[in-house]
Amino acid sequence: MIWIGDVLVSRGEGGVYNERMLGGARVWEPYRSKLAALYHVGKGVELEPSLRVLYLGAANGTTVSHVADYTEAVYAVEFAPRPMQDLIEVARRRKNVIPIMADATRPETYAPIVEAVDLIYQDVAQPGQAAIAIRNCLFLKPGGYLILMLKTRSVDVRKDPAIVFDETIAALKEAGFIVLESVWLTPYHQDHAAIICTKPAKPGE
Amino acid sequence: MQSYWFGDVGEGRCSAVTGDVNAMVSRILSLSTQLDTFTPPDWQQAVACGFCSDRADYLALLQAVCIAAAERSVREHYSGKDAELLQMVRTLDEMDTVVNLLSERAADWYMVRHPAFSRKYRRTPAHILVRTMRENSRGALGKVAGEIGQLADTRTALAKEVSARANDVMPNTSALIGGLVAARLMAHAGGLLPLSRLPASAIQVLGARTALFAHLKTHTPSPKHGIIFQHRRVHNAPRDVRGRVARVLAGKLAIAARIDYFRGVAVPEFLEQAQNRIDTAGKGDGA
Repeated sequence: MIWIGDVLVSRGEGGVYNERMLGGARVWEPYRSKLAALYHVGKGVELEPSLRVLYLGAANGTTVSHVADYTEAVYAVEFAPRPMQDLIEVARRRKNVIPIMADATRPETYAPIVEAVDLIYQDVAQPGQAAIAIRNCLFLKPGGYLILMLKTRSVDVRKDPAIVFDETIAALKEAGFIVLESVWLTPYHQDHAAIICTKPAKPGE
Repeated sequence: MQSYWFGDVGEGRCSAVTGDVNAMVSRILSLSTQLDTFTPPDWQQAVACGFCSDRADYLALLQAVCIAAAERSVREHYSGKDAELLQMVRTLDEMDTVVNLLSERAADWYMVRHPAFSRKYRRTPAHILVRTMRENSRGALGKVAGEIGQLADTRTALAKEVSARANDVMPNTSALIGGLVAARLMAHAGGLLPLSRLPASAIQVLGARTALFAHLKTHTPSPKHGIIFQHRRVHNAPRDVRGRVARVLAGKLAIAARIDYFRGVAVPEFLEQAQNRIDTAGKGDGA
């Protein structure tokens, strides 16, 4: 990751959302982007130029644009039409962003498009977030990573966020993921946690 | 055999798709995939197929097709008759808020200029007050009052349009509860399809979110009604039967919304029956 002092940046064409520029690079704000917050509070997964990424819950393409600055290709899945209009605009300006209007709970609708990827980044505001990650792991290469941004309030507002967190981790382990790191994104985002997992290579492969 | 966006691959053979971007978009939107036997596409297969020349070519073609597909999906999503009605209702509600806020503020300003002025013991309708302020105030205050008047006129015109459009888009729901309230219900649900999928119990408390979550979290009494309180049968009903009337009305609205979504035309037999049931609900013999 590129740091200028203690400011996280990415190198690419600026002006996507009026972001601040620093020494010709785009400032990646932890208060706006949960992925940036993760790099501020935890280790995260080092983004590299060779990586292919499946991004679930791409929204307006703000964080997508930063991820695309670092990586080879980003498959950006978003369900709602309003943010999709912005995401398409981001894709027009960047060669490596592939916009897909689809529901992340139904990977069969975009399966013929998405390659095997090195990283799945998931930031969806829906219940059943662990199930969505598990359904999508068919795109993940053995040894690849999953970063799951858990919006505990979207799972069940009445439940204690800590319990939702534990249940999600248990579900991921059950499905064969190895949990490497799990952190809360405070002070940048409330009731949001990041869970980083890897998918082990199957024995015999 | 596997079907990918660039073609069909299987048993050592591969046939690349031909045709323009539009044809490829139609193809990927119609593909259905069995996930249990699925392996993701590989760009080298596409090259071997003769579909593209290298990695950069693969990505460029894929992006062009995906952008076109996403644009088409967005366009289809907005083509429903309810998409614009939704924005109209939300604009209307926003205008109400703005007009109220601005008139309150302007009245406070006006009272500073006219220390003897008070609204107490006077039944001055809001628009008359605004006109008084416009006529009696010089400079910016007069202009602000004028703008409030204009905004209120636009709001009235918009409300009429919303009502007319709702009668067209959701004839049954509108017949039961009025175009304006029907449109508000639809806007709260997020569209006609989501509204038609809601259970009656959810329609009953649509728009009473604060009260509902207070109930779920801290066990305060559950809300009896949300937006449907605006229907005269509900707010004119005596307190002790209001919950019942709201429940019956919500039940009929749920059916009406489904007819509106799936048939799109008014069904007189249903409407007559539903109206009778709602009318008797408040009289004690319909429990």
